[in-house]
Amino acid sequence: MAKERTPLPNLQPILLGVGFALLVVISAATVYLVDRAATDTQKLTQTLSVEDKLSNVLLAVRRAESSQRGYLFTDNSNYLKEFYAGEPEARQIVEELRALTRDNPARQATLDRVTKELDAKFQEMSETVTLNQRGEADAARRLVLSDAGRAITEDLRKTVDAAIIDEARLAAERGAQSRQTSRMLLYATLASAALIVLIGAMSVLLVQRSARQRETAQKELETTNANLERIVEYRTADLTEANEEIQRFAYIVSHDLRSPLVNIMGFTSELEALRKDIFEQVAKLAADLAALNAQAAEASNAGALEQLGSDFDEAIRFIKTSIGNMDRLINAVLRLSREGRRDFQPEPVDMNALLTAIADTVTHRAVELGASIEVGALPGIETDRLAVEQIFANLVDNALKYGREGEPLQIQIAGRANASHATYEVHDNGRGIDPADHARVFELFRRSGPQDRPGEGIGLAHVRALVRRLGGTMALRSALGQGSTFTVTLPRRWAPGTRSRT
Amino acid sequence: MNSRVPEVPVEIVMIEDDEGHARLIEKNIRRAGVNNPIKPFGNGTDALRFLFGADGSGVVNKGRPLLVLLDLNLPDMTGIDILKKVKTNEHLKRVPVVVLTTTDDAVEIQRCYDFGCNVYITKPVNYDNFANAIRQLGLFFSVIQVPSPN
Repeated sequence: MAKERTPLPNLQPILLGVGFALLVVISAATVYLVDRAATDTQKLTQTLSVEDKLSNVLLAVRRAESSQRGYLFTDNSNYLKEFYAGEPEARQIVEELRALTRDNPARQATLDRVTKELDAKFQEMSETVTLNQRGEADAARRLVLSDAGRAITEDLRKTVDAAIIDEARLAAERGAQSRQTSRMLLYATLASAALIVLIGAMSVLLVQRSARQRETAQKELETTNANLERIVEYRTADLTEANEEIQRFAYIVSHDLRSPLVNIMGFTSELEALRKDIFEQVAKLAADLAALNAQAAEASNAGALEQLGSDFDEAIRFIKTSIGNMDRLINAVLRLSREGRRDFQPEPVDMNALLTAIADTVTHRAVELGASIEVGALPGIETDRLAVEQIFANLVDNALKYGREGEPLQIQIAGRANASHATYEVHDNGRGIDPADHARVFELFRRSGPQDRPGEGIGLAHVRALVRRLGGTMALRSALGQGSTFTVTLPRRWAPGTRSRT
Repeated sequence: MNSRVPEVPVEIVMIEDDEGHARLIEKNIRRAGVNNPIKPFGNGTDALRFLFGADGSGVVNKGRPLLVLLDLNLPDMTGIDILKKVKTNEHLKRVPVVVLTTTDDAVEIQRCYDFGCNVYITKPVNYDNFANAIRQLGLFFSVIQVPSPN
């Protein structure tokens, strides 16, 4: 789960960062574009102003010219007012133009030419005016008629027109540029608006995601807690069971070991009583012998003596048997406790080979009984080989032991595994075990069903103790006359800590 | 003794897996002067078959005067199981059951009485006490009136 989710939380902040960086770039671009738009507008205005001023130069010249003509025609010096104002005005405008078009060398050149032409024009006009003032009106008129002045004006007009056309072209260019800048500004603004919306959406998404993750984490924590509680429950149940087993064990020991003791004491007392009888009998015999010294008396007492002898023998026999029993039980208990203390050595165990070997050792018996043993594909585990061997040898032995009359015995051993545990099943079609006895059969010295097979009721108790020490569990499925299935579940890797009870 | 006492003597069904215990019990019963026939069983399965018959209904022993001497610690089942079966059977529930066992666990004794056990005797390791208890039991047999099932 965590593996799938990690890339996204990492990617999203990166995306968000990229988004913010883009926003900064676009904002900078906008500022730049706004600035450029202002410049463009200013330039356009400037161009239009240049155009206007150029026209004004021409206008000033024309006004001065018409004033000169008027003066020459009327000889009224009032007309000269406009003429005198014309020259400074034109020159003033040219100076303004120079200032405005400082960045344009071509325009400066034009202005140089305009200045020269203005010089020429005003000189020509001044000459005519001066001639007229001196009274040489004819000479002045001739000068005008020479068309030199008109030619200069024409030149000036051409120069100015060319410049105006050029400025108009420039204005068109600048206008286009200005429009382009405006468009770009619009785009940039739209882009940043879109980006802001996007970043906002992403932030909302991120917040939602982190909220969801928190929720999931919370849930996982809750699940873990619940699991922990369950584990504690299991452990407690295990402990309780172990405790109960110890108690049962103590009970069994006190109970079963006391039984032979009752006999030993009982028959010893019987022996004592018998001995008294014997002595009495012997004493009586001795007395009789002494008194009668007859053969007939001896014969009459032979029967009583024989009876005493057999009673004596019986008592002795029972004592011996009881002592033997006690020895057997105590030995069994000792064996179990010794087995419980043995240190396990985990090693990889090929369960197929192990079960096949067990099946091979009982082949002879199986053939005699007409039984078949089938070993399926079994998962291997890492555990104590001897313990596992004892577990399955016992289970297979039990299956062979308790067959059903008139039914060929079939024993199947199957296995499966998950990530942590391997489960093995020893199944038979034998006589089965009454469900009421399912718990009993695992107890020490307890057996179930007809007692027609040799055994001491140790095998399954031993098996269960081993399975538990290996950290596993045992289960029994069985019903009378329907066979039995013993299920052993063991951890796939046994480590000294994995004992399933204390 | 009233006239309805059956002529068939009361049969003692002894369910005791330990042969020695069985013999000692028998000896002491005889010493107490009880001569009723004793039918010994070494395990629960055989005893149940005798008590309840092949069909398991107990009808075979209907009207038969029986007394059960029961050891709780049997190889194939617990004596409690037999006690329960006897005391819940239509035909056998009036049969007196004497529990004789090495267990002196108070809870176990209580349980036996709860299931309808009539007498509970602990087999002590001290033989004199044991013999005494059995002899008293013998005396008890000689005075009790085993009820007729009907």
